[in-house]
Amino acid sequence: MKRILIIDDAATVRLYHREILETGSFVVEEAMNGVEALEKALQSSFDLYLVDINMPKLDGYGFLRELRSRDLPQAPAIMISTEAQAFDEQRAYAAGANLYLIKPVKPDQLLAQVRVLLGELTP
Amino acid sequence: MALIKTQTDEPMTEDEHEETRDCKGLMARLSAADPNTRRWAARDLMDCPQASALLAERLSQEDDISVREVILTTLTSLGDDQAVAGLVACLRSEEPALRNAAIEAMQRLPDKVAPIMRALLTDPDSDVRIFAVSILQSLCHPEVETWLLEVIDQDSHLNVCGVAVDLLSEVGTEAARASLLRLQARFADEPYIRFATDLALGRLREA
Repeated sequence: MKRILIIDDAATVRLYHREILETGSFVVEEAMNGVEALEKALQSSFDLYLVDINMPKLDGYGFLRELRSRDLPQAPAIMISTEAQAFDEQRAYAAGANLYLIKPVKPDQLLAQVRVLLGELTP
Repeated sequence: MALIKTQTDEPMTEDEHEETRDCKGLMARLSAADPNTRRWAARDLMDCPQASALLAERLSQEDDISVREVILTTLTSLGDDQAVAGLVACLRSEEPALRNAAIEAMQRLPDKVAPIMRALLTDPDSDVRIFAVSILQSLCHPEVETWLLEVIDQDSHLNVCGVAVDLLSEVGTEAARASLLRLQARFADEPYIRFATDLALGRLREA
């Protein structure tokens, strides 16, 4: 089963995304900030990252930049944020995101986008 | 494993510390080319209340993380109106790291932040309102729940209410029940609000 790492400092958001992804038969792990996420990414591999932007210690942009700069198996990343400005979206892609979504994401939308990025669904 | 450099404790040279240490001199050195000089000037300005406005101004321009951290520490220590105004300005920054640092600094100033909390929670910019709710996350103040209830009763922005509910899951009391139910009805078609309010209401039942 495909493994997904959810990175968000909001416990309710992590739980919401976890329940959606587990409904889709994905194995889910969680991290509360970019530093914790990077540690997990260094310890084991994930098939996809679901990344919030605003987090303490290391924000989503910083996490993706660090991840992409390292000699690791690279997986697609969805950056997901409350910030809907074009500037944020451009910055997300520049940091290494494959997709930018605005919170809150509806369950069907999230599952569909994850499956597309994992090659399980044609866009 | 050192992932991210967040702090620098490089010793200052004797020459650096022996130069003019009066407030005026220190304020001038905030603009020095050398980050080490700026860092030590920011630290030593802790005894100079008149430096708040300049420190706040420097905060948005400073690109060295370690200097920025010291400026934030000094502003938090000074904690006057100008210092708080400087931190509020950082909430409007496009840089998440600076915003988060300002949020953490404001969480350490509950008595100074409380009088402006309602203004922040009703700011025209929804992002600022979201960050204002984030300040409440670790703000030790008796009005936190009241403010959160005002947000979920009055704010029309889905994500502002979402972050407020997230926090109410942790700090909400029985007093939150009616507001949570009203929010759920107000955003009846939003799965996240349904999920988050159900979670918060469930925790109230367990409490």
